[in-house]
Order: sequence, then C-alpha cells, then structure tokens
Amino acid sequence: MRLTLQMLISHGRVARKMGMGPQSRINMLRNILTGLVRHERIETTQARADEVRFYAEKLVDYAKKGDTDEKAMKMASFWLTEKDLVPKLFKVLAPRFESHPNGYTRMARIPCTQNLDRAKMAVLEYKGNPFPPIYPTKKQNELTLINQLLKGYREERAQLFAAKS
Amino acid sequence: MAACAKGLDKLIFSLRSLRTLQLRNERGLSTSVCRPSPREDNDPPKFTPPPKPVVIDKTQTVASMRKFLSPEFIPPRQRTDPFKFSMERKDMVRRRKVLNIPEFYAGSILAVTMADPNASGKMNRFVGICIQRGGKGLGATFVLRNIIDNQGVEICYEMYSPRIQSVEVLKLEKRLDDNLMYLRDALPEYSTVDPDMKPESCSTSGEVPVNKIKVRMLPKPWSKHWERPRFGIQGIRFDLCMTPRQMEFVQKWAQPWQEYDMLKEYDTSRLEEQIFSEVQREMSK
Repeated sequence: MRLTLQMLISHGRVARKMGMGPQSRINMLRNILTGLVRHERIETTQARADEVRFYAEKLVDYAKKGDTDEKAMKMASFWLTEKDLVPKLFKVLAPRFESHPNGYTRMARIPCTQNLDRAKMAVLEYKGNPFPPIYPTKKQNELTLINQLLKGYREERAQLFAAKS
Repeated sequence: MAACAKGLDKLIFSLRSLRTLQLRNERGLSTSVCRPSPREDNDPPKFTPPPKPVVIDKTQTVASMRKFLSPEFIPPRQRTDPFKFSMERKDMVRRRKVLNIPEFYAGSILAVTMADPNASGKMNRFVGICIQRGGKGLGATFVLRNIIDNQGVEICYEMYSPRIQSVEVLKLEKRLDDNLMYLRDALPEYSTVDPDMKPESCSTSGEVPVNKIKVRMLPKPWSKHWERPRFGIQGIRFDLCMTPRQMEFVQKWAQPWQEYDMLKEYDTSRLEEQIFSEVQREMSK
C-alpha cells in the first residue's frame, strides 16, 4: 500500500501557490506591493496579505541600502510597476524605518465581508502611516469616579514620598 | 543449561588465569629487555634515524593564505536545530584532523585512495575530475569522472567515510560552472585524465585559477537539456551545436523573475564567517 502523504505534505515550502503559476504569482504580488507603497494601507485577502508582507519588508531592507546601490535599484524598479513610487520608496519609506531593525508592516484580519465570495480579508499597512490606527486605543475618561479617586491616591503617595526624602 | 554455565565459569576462570600469567610473563620480559642484557653486546646497537627537521614556511604569512571554507560546513536553510549542525561540525573536524581533505572545487583533478577488501593490496586508487560536490555535513560527497579503456567511469565518494585513506589534489582549478554533469554529453577528450598524472604545484595564496574552457558536445540528444536557462551553464560551446533560432526557442523556459524573488535568497556571509572562525579554532587545537 503506497501512502501518498508525501504529496500532501508541503515539506518546508514557504511560498503559497497563487494565481496561474509562479509568474502570475509574482506579478500579482508586485501589483499588491505597488499599491501598498502608494497608499500605505491596503485591503486584500488574508493569504495575499501574508505573502506580500514578507516581500514588503525585504523591499524596505533593500531600500535602506540606499539609492546608489545597483542591486537595490534593480529590485525597486522590478517590484514597483509604477516608476514614480521608486523615489518615494528611497526618500520617504527608507528614512522612516531607519531606527527599526525589522517589522515595518502590520497586518490585521478583518471580520465581516461584503464580498459575494465570502473571502476572508485583511488590512496590510506600513507602520507610521498618516491614517488613524487600525486598533484604536480607548482613552480612559479622567472624570469618572474611580479614576478621580485613583488620581487622588497617587497624588497623596507622591506627597508622602516627597515629605519622607 | 546450568551444567553449561558451570563449564563456562571454569573456562573463563582458566582464561583469566592464563591472561594474568601471560601479563606477568610479559612484564617479566619487558623489565628484562630494559636492562642491558648480555645478548646485546654481541650485535651492534640498533640504528635510530635522526629526528626529521620541522619545516616552518615563513615566506607566506597567515594573512596571505587563501580563506577557504568547504561548502559542506555551511548548513542549509531548514527548520532543524542549529545544535545538530554544530555537533556535525565537531565530528567533521575530528575526521579532518585524522585525514587531510584539501581544498578543491568542481573541475579540479583529484586522486582518491580507498580501502577495498576485494582489491589486491586492499586499496584502490582512482584519479578523476571532480564534476559535482553535493551534500551537507557528514554526508558530503564528491563525484569523480574519468574515462578508462574508452569507458566513462564516475565514482561518488563520501568525504567523511572511514574507507577513504587519502585525498590528493593533482590540479587545483575552478571552472565556469559549479556542476559539470554536462561532461557526460561532451566529447570524451574533456573527461579523460591520465591516471599516472603527477601533482601540479598550487599556490596557497592568491586566486584559484579559473579554466574558462568551453566544452564541445556530442550530437544531441543529451541526458539533460543543458541548453535550458534553469541550469545556467556557461561552459558549453552552444554556437557549435545549436542554431540561433534554437537558442531563442529555449528562452521560453527562462524564468527572469527568479533573480528578483527575495524569498529564494539565502545570505550566508555572516554564517560563513562564524563557521570559518569556529572551524579554524577547532583545527588548530
């Protein structure tokens, strides 16, 4: 009995199959990446966002190498189909992520879908974008009773500490 | 069963007594040999050759020596624990301390002597051109090819196999490709190596000479479509065996996006430096 589990297990393959073959996959990822660099926040399916995330971060790594690096320029001109985004990549995105060693993107999965095919969507963005945050932080209201009591308690403690020292 | 056990006990006891007797005798003999016995005065004293001089080559500094890390030390991109690779590296260094595996590339001519129980003299020597270096870690292999009596012979040797007695580099050189499997479909003159070739002197500093030879092929069909871009072969004279129209047709299989695919990149520079320094340290101990 020949067990064909070998063909069902992917055995360390990291690239998902997308589109109509490897060329179609790369072209699709290129388009999504170009859109991401242009708009800095895009909404796609979860699988595509996951794939593009890796390429987006590697592209920023290449952009950090600088304008003058030949390999970086070749990569940028290949991956960005709209050529007016190449200077944006090198002059806006690369300096923004100077201090970050890695982790330039954020992916958030979106619950409800208005699509007909009920595809699971996700939002992919570069950190430091001008839009309001995906996970909005709830601001604590200082005027509630408990917060006022806590504020008073903290102030008393600070006063006692200052009096002691 | 109990009777056999009893008999065994007596046998073991007798063996032990014999062994102790032998040891005592040996000890007795050895002590007698150390002292100058009257037997030695009749024969002249045994000739002990003078100690061999130790040659320290100070003309070549450590800095000028070529830095070479054998490719099987570099671990592949996997999900296994790096501890496994470090354990393998320790074993590889241990073996290398016993057997000197020199630096060589695909395209160099090697002579390997291997222990063989069926050969006369228990060793067999094979000289050939290295066409492929495969495998990582202790299972690293290299394939030597030669043509003997008009018959092409390829032998795949495991570098860390205990059967291998010596590996000599007769000619150190590189070729335009890493994988010379296309020599199977090339004219036999490119794969023949003289079995009695003398080793050529190779410099331990400076660049390894690259042989930019372009090989002429036998008429098609070949064992593999060597003209296709996925093999990326530079060392074949395609202009003699294929028309320009065929060359254009073959570009259909080209995948130009692969060189821009960042997922396929595996940057080993830092890893190489780390492993190189580690291996140097272990070898010098």
